[in-house]
Amino acid sequence: MDTLQHLTDGLVAALGWQNLVFALIGCVLGTLIGVLPGLGPAAGTAILIPLTFRLDPTGGLIMLSAIYYGAMYGGTITSVLINVPGEAASVVTCFDGYQMARQGRGGTALGIAAIGSFVGGMVATLALVVVAPPLARVALSFGPPEFFALMLVGLGLVTSLAGRSLLAGLAMAVLGLLIAMVGIDPVRGAPRFTFGIPSLYDGLGFIPVVMGLFGVAEILLTLESPTRQLVATKFTALLPSREEWRRSVGAISRGTGIGFVLGLIPGIGAIIPTFTAYVVEKRLSKTPEKFGQGAIEGVAAPETANNAYANAAMIPLLTLGIPSSPTIAVLMGAFIINGLTPGPFLFQERPDLVWTVIASFFLGNALLLILNLPLVGLWARLLHLPHQYVSVGTLLFCVLGAYSLQQNVFDIAVMIVCGIIGYGMRKIDLPIAPLVLGLILGPFIEKSLRTSLEMSGGDFSIFFTRPLCVALLVIGALILVASALRLAPAEVREARDAN
Amino acid sequence: MRRGWQVGCVCLLGVFAGALITSLSYSLSDNLGPGPGFFPFWLSVTGLALTGAILVQVTSGRLLADAPSDLWPGRQAALQGLAVIVALAAAAVLLEPLGFRLTLLPFVAGLLVALGARSWIAIALCAVGGSFGVFHVFYYWLMVPLPIGAFGI
Repeated sequence: MDTLQHLTDGLVAALGWQNLVFALIGCVLGTLIGVLPGLGPAAGTAILIPLTFRLDPTGGLIMLSAIYYGAMYGGTITSVLINVPGEAASVVTCFDGYQMARQGRGGTALGIAAIGSFVGGMVATLALVVVAPPLARVALSFGPPEFFALMLVGLGLVTSLAGRSLLAGLAMAVLGLLIAMVGIDPVRGAPRFTFGIPSLYDGLGFIPVVMGLFGVAEILLTLESPTRQLVATKFTALLPSREEWRRSVGAISRGTGIGFVLGLIPGIGAIIPTFTAYVVEKRLSKTPEKFGQGAIEGVAAPETANNAYANAAMIPLLTLGIPSSPTIAVLMGAFIINGLTPGPFLFQERPDLVWTVIASFFLGNALLLILNLPLVGLWARLLHLPHQYVSVGTLLFCVLGAYSLQQNVFDIAVMIVCGIIGYGMRKIDLPIAPLVLGLILGPFIEKSLRTSLEMSGGDFSIFFTRPLCVALLVIGALILVASALRLAPAEVREARDAN
Repeated sequence: MRRGWQVGCVCLLGVFAGALITSLSYSLSDNLGPGPGFFPFWLSVTGLALTGAILVQVTSGRLLADAPSDLWPGRQAALQGLAVIVALAAAAVLLEPLGFRLTLLPFVAGLLVALGARSWIAIALCAVGGSFGVFHVFYYWLMVPLPIGAFGI
């Protein structure tokens, strides 16, 4: 009953004209980010944070959330029309979406993607409403040791699923945690790694680091392959035919379930739900040979799963304070900039804000559908924009965003250095996600570790005498062991298989 | 790519070793429990161990055996990348003395030319819009404080 009342209040607040405008602007900007090449959702969300500096926290978070799921949808357009996924989660959509566009059915592909995204997003948000409050209540009983273990599990999940080497993922997570140590020690107030530079006393800004690692690095990479081939397609038939509807209904239902369930697990990332949904559809199909040739289920299922995942991934953030992906980490950064710490206490301290933001997800998903069906042609035309203008525009917003956070040019320098580092990491395929997650979770992990040890007088057994903490640590260890086996060098795998 | 990973590992070893040495100057523990140096110290140790293990794996060929070897960008992309970095650095240096508008005007125009744009009308429009236009929107409408330079612009 409480939940229903909160949700109703949230809906009333979200339906206020100001919040509606913020959601609308967010959806448009998010889709634009998704459409424009060289701008992923993490970088796009980060560079648009300055837009929200002077908004009230609720409006700002509504806009950023809308940017996030708008970007997740926008990536679909490039997947279908130019066979280039706007973001990693849209890779699978290329398989059949691009083929549909080549057959002159690009409009239908984008239409079913919009409808599937709408259904997946709405159902996942509804499930969020049901699941989040009890989960937050459970999390309220956690002490510092449990939070420490929980955050280790979250970080471990992200690390274990990133890149080609578990060790590299772990090293990047450790590097992220270490970078988070720069600045004033949150417990004792002593400066660390500041080297007498006043700008470092507040630590390295999360936003400049993310803008560098994602924004600047992506632009540098785009310069190496700037040409794209756009498929000419008609947008007269956006809605699927009766037969296509029949084939899509099951795919959309299953995609919703898969996306939602996998979205609850921190670190899964958006690629796994979309691939899983695609593989499941192919397995269940009576005509699997049509997959990869323009099967509408091959677009409907992953796109639905993608948006269901995107909305469900807000649950670990809002209830436990654990970001599931770099983009969610950017959103978490936006919460923190606004003086709010995502997690169970937020439901207690600012229920008005949390429920308004959650209610805005419903509106945002509806706005995306209303916007994207009629505007598909316009988005497609944006793909003709020469890459130079997109790249320079992105860099302009990077400078603006990095500077305006603290009105400090030092942050621009941080962004440039991180851009070069991010470019290098992307070139040699070192995973960036664990670094970003380590960076944002670092202060929380350190604080909960040190508070736990203060509680026990420096005795580490506190982590092994509390049942929930032990359970979480065991889960974390199992994840890392499973990942180590999955990513083991070839000869170890061969020996294991031989045995 | 293997050479890239080796270089990356050496850089990481340097970072972790530097962090380890620096963290030793902070107290690892005090009367309340772990001190400010506790977490950085153990993170540095862990980072060193992990990076060392990766370096051994890469050097012995157990990792990246199937990775592509050529990672260098073409000449044009390298020059354009350099132009981006130089332009960003120049913007960082000039932003406060010259102000947002006078810095971003040549930043946008110069970068567009460097990246291959050739329509002077489009370049001029983007430069003015990207400097004066963006300043107007953010400074006056969104009330985001942006620097005004020595010339009052």
